[in-house]
Amino acid sequence: MDKLLRIDMGMDGGPKASEEPLGDYAGLAGRGMTSAIIAKEVPPLCHPLGKDNKLVIAPGLLSGSHAAQSGRVSVGCKSPLTGGIKEANSGGQGAQVIARLGYAAIVLEGKPGDDTLYKVVINKDGVEITPDNSLKMMGNYDLIDKIRETYGDKVACISIGPAGEMKMAAASVAFTDMEQRPTRHAGRGGVGAVMGTKGIKVIVLDDTGMPTRSPKDPEKFKAANKAFVQGLKKHPITGEGLPSFGTNILTNVINEAGALPTHNFKTGRFDGAGNISGETQSEIMKARGGMVAHGCHKGCVIRCSGIYNDKDGNFVTKRPEYETVWAHGGNCGIDDMDTIAELDRMDDDYGLDTIEMGAAIGVAMEAGLAEFGDAEAAVNLLKEVGKGSPLGRIIGNGAAVTGKVFGVERVPVVKGQALPAYDPRSVQGMGVTYATTTMGADHTAGYAVTANVLNVGGSVDPLNPEGQVELSRNLQIATAAIDATGMCLFIAFAILDQPETFEALVDMIGAFTGQNLTADDVTELGKTILTFERDFNSRAGFTQKDDRLPDFFKEEPLPPHNVTFDVKDEDLDRVFNW
Amino acid sequence: MGSPAGGSPFSSVVKRPMEPKPENYSTINLRLTVESDRLSLFSSLLGQGFTLKVRTGCSLRELLCEQLGVHADYVDQRIQTIFLDGKTVDDVDTAVIRQESTLALSAAMPGLAGATLRRGGAYAAMRRQISHQNTAGHNSVADGVVMLKLFNLVALELGPGFLKQGIWIRGKHMENFFKKVPDYFWPGCRAAEIDGTPLKVEEIGRLEWRHRQVFLKLEFKESG
Repeated sequence: MDKLLRIDMGMDGGPKASEEPLGDYAGLAGRGMTSAIIAKEVPPLCHPLGKDNKLVIAPGLLSGSHAAQSGRVSVGCKSPLTGGIKEANSGGQGAQVIARLGYAAIVLEGKPGDDTLYKVVINKDGVEITPDNSLKMMGNYDLIDKIRETYGDKVACISIGPAGEMKMAAASVAFTDMEQRPTRHAGRGGVGAVMGTKGIKVIVLDDTGMPTRSPKDPEKFKAANKAFVQGLKKHPITGEGLPSFGTNILTNVINEAGALPTHNFKTGRFDGAGNISGETQSEIMKARGGMVAHGCHKGCVIRCSGIYNDKDGNFVTKRPEYETVWAHGGNCGIDDMDTIAELDRMDDDYGLDTIEMGAAIGVAMEAGLAEFGDAEAAVNLLKEVGKGSPLGRIIGNGAAVTGKVFGVERVPVVKGQALPAYDPRSVQGMGVTYATTTMGADHTAGYAVTANVLNVGGSVDPLNPEGQVELSRNLQIATAAIDATGMCLFIAFAILDQPETFEALVDMIGAFTGQNLTADDVTELGKTILTFERDFNSRAGFTQKDDRLPDFFKEEPLPPHNVTFDVKDEDLDRVFNW
Repeated sequence: MGSPAGGSPFSSVVKRPMEPKPENYSTINLRLTVESDRLSLFSSLLGQGFTLKVRTGCSLRELLCEQLGVHADYVDQRIQTIFLDGKTVDDVDTAVIRQESTLALSAAMPGLAGATLRRGGAYAAMRRQISHQNTAGHNSVADGVVMLKLFNLVALELGPGFLKQGIWIRGKHMENFFKKVPDYFWPGCRAAEIDGTPLKVEEIGRLEWRHRQVFLKLEFKESG
């Protein structure tokens, strides 16, 4: 993983691939790599769909090794949805295979002169870029079936569906999972649209003949990895809760807290939550011969995913995650698990962000295009997106565009990106992160990672009401650093609660890289990444006014607790004071 | 984990009567004999809530440990997310159970939201608007009724004990359960009895439950 692969799609004479040493980017990975390249090489004022934007795909620091949970991949660009810098994160096989092929990042740049669609194949012998217009407007599932016919069932794929080709601002980039299904997505911010502008439909990755990446200190690494895995397995969240119920274990709990945004953020409780809870979902999956605990990439020991089958036992989709179940479920008033699974499958096939789609359909329902709870109408609206009809193109460009076109005031977005599944009026600390993160509203931007363990930014009194600004800051710093390692964020709980598991992680990284990592190093890395990102957004025209939640969160009390978001603007403006 | 020690999450057999006396509802007693590998199917029902007759005016710890017989270690280690009337509880010793309170119990939850909602967690400040305010010190103990909701691992572990004792649930939840339960439940449901009268298992799914208050009691049989 000591080189960059650049693929320039705008060269005279056709696309050209070239390799180069890492140079200034040496030591970076994941979000650290994507944000550094975007901040340095992309003009902040460029059009996100223009030739000057770049799409950077970067595996994590430990990807391609035997390190558990090291299979996350970052996809970065200037976002067509927010207009700011973007890092969208995905599981799947992509990170491991890119890393074993030796690349710290694949950078797609330039823009073809016509609408020819290309296929890129990368293996140990090099890179082949060929036009293939037979792939046009193909759904991700059919596309991967076709790729399998030619390249077999061992390759990993990175692809876009019709939404990416149509350059919709909610388009995702798909990564195949262990079963070579396109179920894993870098969903947020329209990264799929940027891949669409590059004219690349699919990147086929074949690591045959390439070795697993070796640590500098194999014995120490092996011991640390073993301790790390033991820590994950013994923790009740990573060892029991997530494997048993997936991330959708949250539906009942968030609903009970009155924080489940329902009917386009009108209330915090959904009457039908029990029908779409993780508990119910797991029983349906078991009954139909699906798989309840399943990893999304090799080396995953948490196994929060699963297989969701239809009533006849046929595969429909992977286990829909909590955010998906919320977006297409409670947010739209739909309490039918099969409908939600169908919508999830359609999102994956068209190549769309499930959060943005659920939010956009919720706004469309608010506008009167359908009734809340009308499952058939929701499916039909999503089909319009897949077809690319005028209505579909509106919804496919996200909640903000949908709200603007149909004159809706209650539009739950920050920097143009839809809020995820936690109402910030009930959990106000999350609202601080939604408002201020460089990414637009994002529940993973300030994850409950090691802020307190690392003592990032000084200790915080959790009982101090003003502490949430400091907490949000610390969490955003720590999350940026973890995103750079390529580790799954779900390791957070074990390393938060079990000091020995955190120590094992630090030892593992140290043994792999040959460098002793300190808490201060991690903090500095997080701050550096956020500084890159803040600087890019500032140069792209963002100001403090963009670090705000929509007014309705401050004005409309949220039942059942009837609370409003009351963090002051001046406090939001303190988040990045360090 | 049945309990932190790996055994039963209950420290004692609950002997006090579980039945409240619902008013303004017609009631029905439903007794089912089910194979134990079908028990997890009842998790969704336990998450909807069931009512218990208890002594109110006491602390949450007293309710759980002394009245319901839940092991103290289980309360301290396993039950990491607690809601009392929808508010997040941080201290089980100072939160007081009131007449008709709704109490929801869950294991530790993932995500920032999960960490934020965790009792006494480092991120409690992030949800202060929905935190339960301590109410100890101004209470009178009296007989009363509470609604209990059990979620995720806690439902799997505490649920069987309550189902064996019998729980009062709303008819609409019972009806929804029979309507949505996967087909493989039925072969594992060996016997049914309503108000002491046996009936064919397949008939219970066709009955009108919506406007009733149901006392559901399970007997478990080994699978196979």
